[in-house]
Amino acid sequence: MLLTESFLRQLELLTLVPRGRAHGQLKGMHRSRRTGAGMVFADYRPYSEGDDIRNIDWGIYLRMDRLILRLFEEEADLPVYIFLDTSVSMDHGEPPKLDYAKRVASALAYVALLNHDRVNLVTYADGLREMLPTRRGKNQAPQVFNFLERMQAKGRTSLFAALRRYFGAPRTRGMVVLVSDFLDPDGTEAALTVLRRFRHDVVLLHVMSPQERDPQLPEEVVLVDAEEGTSSELEITPALLAAYRETFEKHAGEVEAYCRKYGWGYVRALTEVPFEDLVLKGLREEGLLR
Amino acid sequence: MRFLALPAGTAMLLLAGVAALVVGLYLLRPLPRRLVISSGLIWRRVLKERKRKPERLRWWLSLLLALALALSIAAALTRPEIAAVGGHAQEVVVVVDDSATMGARSPDGRTRLERALERAHATIEAGGAGSRFLVADTMRQVSAPRFQEKRAALTTLERIKPGNDGQPRFPDVALPRSAEAGGQALFITDGVAGVEPSREFQTISVFQPVDNVGIVAFDVRPVPGNPRRYEAFVEVLNASSGNKQIELRVAGTGAKAITKTLQLAGRSAANEVLEVSAFDSGPLRATIDSDYDGFAPDDTAFAFLPAKHVVRVGLITRGNQQLQRTLELLPRVQLTMLSPERASAVRGLDAAVFDRYAPPAAPRLPALLIRPPRTNWLPRQVGEVADIGIERWDRAHPLLRHLNLRDITVESAAVLKLNTARSDEERVHVLAVGPRDQPMMLATEAGVRWIELAFALEQSSFPQQTSFPMFLANSIEWLTNESVALSRNLGTVSVPLAHGKVVGLEGREVKAQWGHDATLFEVPQPGFFIVSSGDERLRVAVNLLDPHISALNESPLPPQTQDRERARPSARIAIDPWMLLLLIAVGLLTIEWLTYNRRVTI
Repeated sequence: MLLTESFLRQLELLTLVPRGRAHGQLKGMHRSRRTGAGMVFADYRPYSEGDDIRNIDWGIYLRMDRLILRLFEEEADLPVYIFLDTSVSMDHGEPPKLDYAKRVASALAYVALLNHDRVNLVTYADGLREMLPTRRGKNQAPQVFNFLERMQAKGRTSLFAALRRYFGAPRTRGMVVLVSDFLDPDGTEAALTVLRRFRHDVVLLHVMSPQERDPQLPEEVVLVDAEEGTSSELEITPALLAAYRETFEKHAGEVEAYCRKYGWGYVRALTEVPFEDLVLKGLREEGLLR
Repeated sequence: MRFLALPAGTAMLLLAGVAALVVGLYLLRPLPRRLVISSGLIWRRVLKERKRKPERLRWWLSLLLALALALSIAAALTRPEIAAVGGHAQEVVVVVDDSATMGARSPDGRTRLERALERAHATIEAGGAGSRFLVADTMRQVSAPRFQEKRAALTTLERIKPGNDGQPRFPDVALPRSAEAGGQALFITDGVAGVEPSREFQTISVFQPVDNVGIVAFDVRPVPGNPRRYEAFVEVLNASSGNKQIELRVAGTGAKAITKTLQLAGRSAANEVLEVSAFDSGPLRATIDSDYDGFAPDDTAFAFLPAKHVVRVGLITRGNQQLQRTLELLPRVQLTMLSPERASAVRGLDAAVFDRYAPPAAPRLPALLIRPPRTNWLPRQVGEVADIGIERWDRAHPLLRHLNLRDITVESAAVLKLNTARSDEERVHVLAVGPRDQPMMLATEAGVRWIELAFALEQSSFPQQTSFPMFLANSIEWLTNESVALSRNLGTVSVPLAHGKVVGLEGREVKAQWGHDATLFEVPQPGFFIVSSGDERLRVAVNLLDPHISALNESPLPPQTQDRERARPSARIAIDPWMLLLLIAVGLLTIEWLTYNRRVTI
């Protein structure tokens, strides 16, 4: 069980907050650019034949003898694309980054389902691995959880390949949530550029384990890359460790800087922090949830 | 290259083994722990920026350092001989002649011994690292000479001083292993003592002619026929090559002194007889003075002028003309002839000589008993032996000083049986023994002194020996306890007196050591001493009085030249190769530590 009952109840109070208008085709709970049936007044326009007479502003008609139609913002659903990195690198850390990422993804998906958003779950490694077709509504939560729960780490990371393949097909603009450690040998920037072209609302959840950020290593060690299988023999010195920490921080900073540059959300998901805190505090502070 | 600690083969094996061990350890070095990490992406970026040195190069560098370090230590253990560093390791035997003549001082102020020690010092200093040195001397000042390291050998050299104690002789020392290995055997001498080295030794001369005038004989004796008159006999030797004017002075205990000027040609001697009857009884000092003298110990001599009174001696015999005549000829002896029947009635004697007779009870006056019959108070006679001689005798005892008893033959002698406990109690000394340690001459100092001869004079050749009258004279002096001064040579003086206190003429006490019934003390310069223990006193005149020593220019060796050959050091760097190797190892260890900490080596 990825999420506890009590935590699910806490999630029921939350909703995903897109940074722009929702572009969903279905009735939802997010403001959209379309006008139509809705609760929030948007504009006036002259009545045309065929318009719903229920939206005529009768007060104006009495004062000005003209039929003016009141327009309302139509509330649409939000397509949510949750990309979960299931490469081998995600299987490391204490707790494993993948477990942490699964729970975060489950929580986000659950919140989206609650708000009648269309949830698309995609797992990737060196390409697309599995996709859960669009789900909507709270009753789809078990399927989402099951899908996530059975995911195992496998393969190397290639976010670029996965995104290009996925968004190669027509997709409604929506919110893209990337849950990954972003340790992509091919680089992250090229992959993110794909998302930028489609003008999605993007949030990156950068999963980091303490072992990655501040490794404790013996003096002499052969480090084996879990994804590549390559190894390198190292003599670990304080200076080398400091350089590593600096480089790691630089790498994370580069990813964050890219997101900030394009107004995307970026959250560091530190696995030593309870994921409930991340969801209830971290994501809310970032403005992803409300 | 030679190895001093191990045979060459073993040493090479050791070095090869150490090298193989180090390489093996490097090859078998356990691999570092393998750790799977999520991604090597960050590490690759880190290492790319840090420009790491190639691992293989570091491994080789580390192996080379470890090999050099291990081989340096292993090589140090083998104690290699590297001529360029420590010179040739060799065995050097240096025998220094430290006989008395080596104390002769040249006009430049240095003695022959100082020059000899300087040469020996230079030879040892020039020895290569790992060399071993054996230092010995001719006067046995270096006890148990053995091969030593350089520092110990130099310390041994410092202990050598001019020696006067005994005759010089070439020491029985080990020889260097082989001349091919650079071994040297040197004998540094002035050649005067005539010490012949073994043929393996190279003789190095430190001889330089030195002017010397010395007293080679000095004695005081009563004038025959007039025991109250005494004469001092002095022999002076001019060992120099040129003429010398010498002032001879003989002085007594009072203010009396005799001074005489002598003119002596080079390498000649003068005998002077000086009347000293007017001098008070006591020590006499003879000194000589000349314009230059390179050897001081023979410039002074001491003798003793005894008390000048008559000793009354009774001869109890049934007739022995030779004994009677000899006793009558002794100076200061007033002889009274007695038959055994009248022996007990005689009074007023200082000593008695019993010839083949012994009184029934121990006499109350000192006595010499010649082949006495059996009696209770003398050692028991258990039989007779025939045709024997005297094998050994106590040369240190006042009775037998200057005597040679070796040629005495005895037709028949009594076999004396000493009661050991009683002998100790009565302090009976066996002075001479025949075959199978049979006592031939006894003496006791307990109570009244007596001397016993185990054989009769007419049954031996003793009366025909030149030592016989001296024996009688010594016996009378010893029995009447009027001993003259003992005469000793310079060096370690031994006097037959237990736990004696030694005092010089100036009243200064001399440090002494005590042996078994003897007192020993060191005398480097001529002097006169009184050794006392309880009621007993012994006078000792210590002189050089040796014409062979005073003639210190009589050397077969050529004089040492001014441009004397110096021992050349065999290496420019005076350091043992093994020590240098250890220093290198320490240096390599430091480099290893530094490179390891800077990750240059693994």
